[in-house]
Amino acid sequence: MSAISLLNPKAEFARAAQALAVNMSAAKGIQDVMKTNLGPKGTMKMLVSGAGDIKITKDGNVLLHEMQIQHPTASLIARASTAQDDATGDGTTSTVLLIGELLKQADIYISEGLHPRILTEGYDVARNKALEILETMKVPIEIKRENLLDVARTSLKTKVHPSLADVLTAACVDAVLAIRTPDKHVDLHMVELMEMQHKTATETTLIKGLVMDHGARHPDMPKRVENAYILTCNVSLEYEKTEVNSGFFYKSAEDREKLIAAERDFIDQRVKKIIALKKKLCDGTNKTFVVINQKGVDPLSLDAFAKEGIIALRRAKRRNMERLALACGGTAMNSVDDLSEEHLGYAGLVYEHILGEDKYTFVEECKNPQSVTILIKGPNKHTLTQIKDAVRDGLRAINNAIEDKCLVPGAGAFEIKANIELQKYKDSVKGKSRLGIQAYAEALLVIPKTLAVNSGYDAQDTIVKLQEESRLSPDPIGLDLSTGEAIKPADLGIYDNYIVKKQILNSCSVIASNLLLVDEIMRAGMSSLKG
Amino acid sequence: MSTREILTLQFGHYSNYVGAHFWNIQELGFDYTGTVKAECNHDILYREGQTANGEVTYTPRLLLADLKGSLKTLPTSGGLEEPRVEEDLPWHTVERVEEPTASKNEFLHDIDGENSSNINNKEYNFEQDVQTWTDYLYPRFHPRSVNVIKEYQHGNENESFDYNCSGREIWKSNFGDTFSDKIRKYVEECDSMQGFHVNFDCTDGFSGLALGCIEHLADEYNKVILAFPIIASYFSDNNPSTEDEREKANIKDSVRLVNVALSIEELSQHSALFVPLCTGEKGWRKPGAPRAFDYINYKPEQYYHSSALLASAIDTLSHKYRHKANVHTMSDICADMTGYGRKMAAASFGMPVALKESEYLIDYLNTISKPLYKSITPSCKIATDKIFQLITVRGIPESYLKAPMKEAKDQMKLAAYRCSNVKEMFELYFQANNFLSATNVTVSEKPLDLKTPFPNIFSDCLNKYGFVKDDTVVQKVESCPVIAGFHNGNFMSDVIEKLHRDVSRIKFAKLHKFREQGLEEADYRECLDRLSEFKDNYEDDFEL
Repeated sequence: MSAISLLNPKAEFARAAQALAVNMSAAKGIQDVMKTNLGPKGTMKMLVSGAGDIKITKDGNVLLHEMQIQHPTASLIARASTAQDDATGDGTTSTVLLIGELLKQADIYISEGLHPRILTEGYDVARNKALEILETMKVPIEIKRENLLDVARTSLKTKVHPSLADVLTAACVDAVLAIRTPDKHVDLHMVELMEMQHKTATETTLIKGLVMDHGARHPDMPKRVENAYILTCNVSLEYEKTEVNSGFFYKSAEDREKLIAAERDFIDQRVKKIIALKKKLCDGTNKTFVVINQKGVDPLSLDAFAKEGIIALRRAKRRNMERLALACGGTAMNSVDDLSEEHLGYAGLVYEHILGEDKYTFVEECKNPQSVTILIKGPNKHTLTQIKDAVRDGLRAINNAIEDKCLVPGAGAFEIKANIELQKYKDSVKGKSRLGIQAYAEALLVIPKTLAVNSGYDAQDTIVKLQEESRLSPDPIGLDLSTGEAIKPADLGIYDNYIVKKQILNSCSVIASNLLLVDEIMRAGMSSLKG
Repeated sequence: MSTREILTLQFGHYSNYVGAHFWNIQELGFDYTGTVKAECNHDILYREGQTANGEVTYTPRLLLADLKGSLKTLPTSGGLEEPRVEEDLPWHTVERVEEPTASKNEFLHDIDGENSSNINNKEYNFEQDVQTWTDYLYPRFHPRSVNVIKEYQHGNENESFDYNCSGREIWKSNFGDTFSDKIRKYVEECDSMQGFHVNFDCTDGFSGLALGCIEHLADEYNKVILAFPIIASYFSDNNPSTEDEREKANIKDSVRLVNVALSIEELSQHSALFVPLCTGEKGWRKPGAPRAFDYINYKPEQYYHSSALLASAIDTLSHKYRHKANVHTMSDICADMTGYGRKMAAASFGMPVALKESEYLIDYLNTISKPLYKSITPSCKIATDKIFQLITVRGIPESYLKAPMKEAKDQMKLAAYRCSNVKEMFELYFQANNFLSATNVTVSEKPLDLKTPFPNIFSDCLNKYGFVKDDTVVQKVESCPVIAGFHNGNFMSDVIEKLHRDVSRIKFAKLHKFREQGLEEADYRECLDRLSEFKDNYEDDFEL
């Protein structure tokens, strides 16, 4: 009988072995679901909702979000894995797998009577050692295109089809390099992701400029201009009625129209100022003028602009104000008083693209764009979402590499190496906690094992092969998924993020230890509450 | 003048019930023959668009939010574009994880099928079939419209979306980003928008979500925000039978009450005008006894019923700024109603306006002793004196106004006989009945059409057009005259006072979940203080 039942007879509880069993089965369950998705050869999952909505994904994080996880332990693991994604953008599936495996390995020893505490102590020691090993394996890199391509490709191949991964890899790396200024943190928000439901996924491209999802709202405005001055502003160019009590006082619509006409004059003044600037700068030259406004522009103002051949866009994204200033130069203006040329940006080409009811405006050929757009194309909604998720992770992977200034060989190389080193290290440790280290070393192998199984090879065969090879070679050895043989990841350019691996080791050990130490699960409502 | 567009936002399950009825009323009211002159400009609420295949669409300018698992048969793409699965996926292995296909009820089958024209003549068992609001939804939506919150499952007891703060969290997450981007896209399309309608459930987590959104709207757009915080007519724990259930219900009630109070307080800061709605009399702590309407029998536990009443009310109220004549706009309404910072107003509703079929309006108004309408704002009794009110009356034909000269007899003696139309007569009526008040009456000719799937909640005493019958032949009511209004005045201070009193009784420290989710006790106290300050706007017996 549990102590809680003395206090609250209605509480549900599970004790000791039973509690552990609950945690184990949850961990195994969620591991089984995610297992098949690991690595470039993992399966895709197509989720179909009751109403027929489709989602196709391979990304552990997306899957975890889509699945309704009811089990408290499973949702704890899912949350750890989501946190992994928030922190690094990759490694969610690995996290789930490793937690599951750490518990599975522990189960073997616990069933033989070992106290979980001893195991967790072992895990702790093993983790520290594993981090040391990780430290020795990292490969310092220069921030060069080739190096970044490797890590981006490794990350993206686990999320989308290889042919698409290559396209996205190049786009992501070039995007990050374009917006990066040396010795400064990269603000990934300065890469705009724009979706276009159109053509095929492999036509996704990088635009060195900005693409906006809206266009000019006036039929007479030019659809394409070159050599354009760009005015970005946050100034209302639409008439907004001031608050007058009118329902009780105005009898007819005409009365009100008169008042409106008088008030509109105020807006007209603003429009005139912009037009005056345009005339001063552009008339007599081949230059053109584009106004991009965060606030509204009403039909009368649009009309005035159209007469002057000015393209005017309204309701731009707030973030695009910042992006425009970086892409084209100039500053975002909050008032049209004292406008001058220095406030304006420049773009070589501005044109509109219409797709069904959606309009897109491309601002391209900027002089020194520090904000770029990845234009995602795909034949349908779910492909677009899938690519978008993948691109986000690709960008994160590149950014991680830049921040770490180093990479770690991928293809399971780290896990194999760490396994061997931990086995050696185990012998130097006294006492039962070496069992914990043993279990930890075994658990790490789940990554290469799953990679092998997902590619259609025998897990044990592969592990033995890799271990042998690794003992002989001083270099890290990984698994070639296309042949099932041992390779040097460095040769094929398979690299993982250092921070991702580090984060996985840390969070998995902690969560697994916590779950192991649980000896009682209880569910009791707060029934003494009287509102 | 051009169309003054409105963007409608719906947050929460019950609000979507209301919304489904509202859009049904709109869409079933469309006239495709071109013979009937529509009074309302549909472009205000609707937008024209195009699917990827180039088909022209006409869909509500709407964004709605609900929890995962509440949509049943409605795909998140709004139902206009069928998702195509068959295209060849360039993958080696695709694992298909399929939920069971949601079954469509008879009504949904029929509107999809070919005999969609005769749904009006068929009897459906909606009371049994309707499990969620999509079960009686007639229109299809733009792909942008439907937004699902994936973090919470609809009807999940373990992790329910009950707290204002959880809604706030959702707004700050990716969901809020996407949602505000969709708002921007809608607004970008509009040439001269008049403002936003926001209908939301103010009792659960959606209150936080909606308020996050309203704050964003107030920040970003210089437009009028008219909000309807809605309280459902009934909660499943309202009638506890055991001690245990009573305790649980008590906590739930308290949580809901705190959510309501937080919503009202925040609305008083960010919205232009807000009108709490509930078909229950009390509303605040529990919905309470259902408001009784003459000639209508509805069950409060049927959301499908009670939401139809609120939808009819909102539809009628909004006529004022949707008429083609375009005399009023939303900002006028809000400015009229909110003098002295009295941003909260009450709404009233009367359906049907129970004239006898052989009776003239003049006699009806002359003899009637009780108000024409009932309040649908919780805990609120609309005063008769010293109020501002905006009334909309629809569906009373001019022929019912008064008897012709020859037959007029006693009617001639009434002052109202001079009135030459319905509008004047109502104006006179309100002038005589409401002392020291300002009233503005809008009249629409067309009654409220009651086409399937509007619930059949009418008494047998009504004829086809919603007037009280002289004989006893049973007829299906097809339309009915409706009156609805916004009211504001000193009496509203009572409403807030009751809310404040109720919520002050709660021991906040015991609702630990709020604190867990980041609402500090001090902030909460401050919020209640602001609520009582807001109440002071309605007092006029202060000394300077």
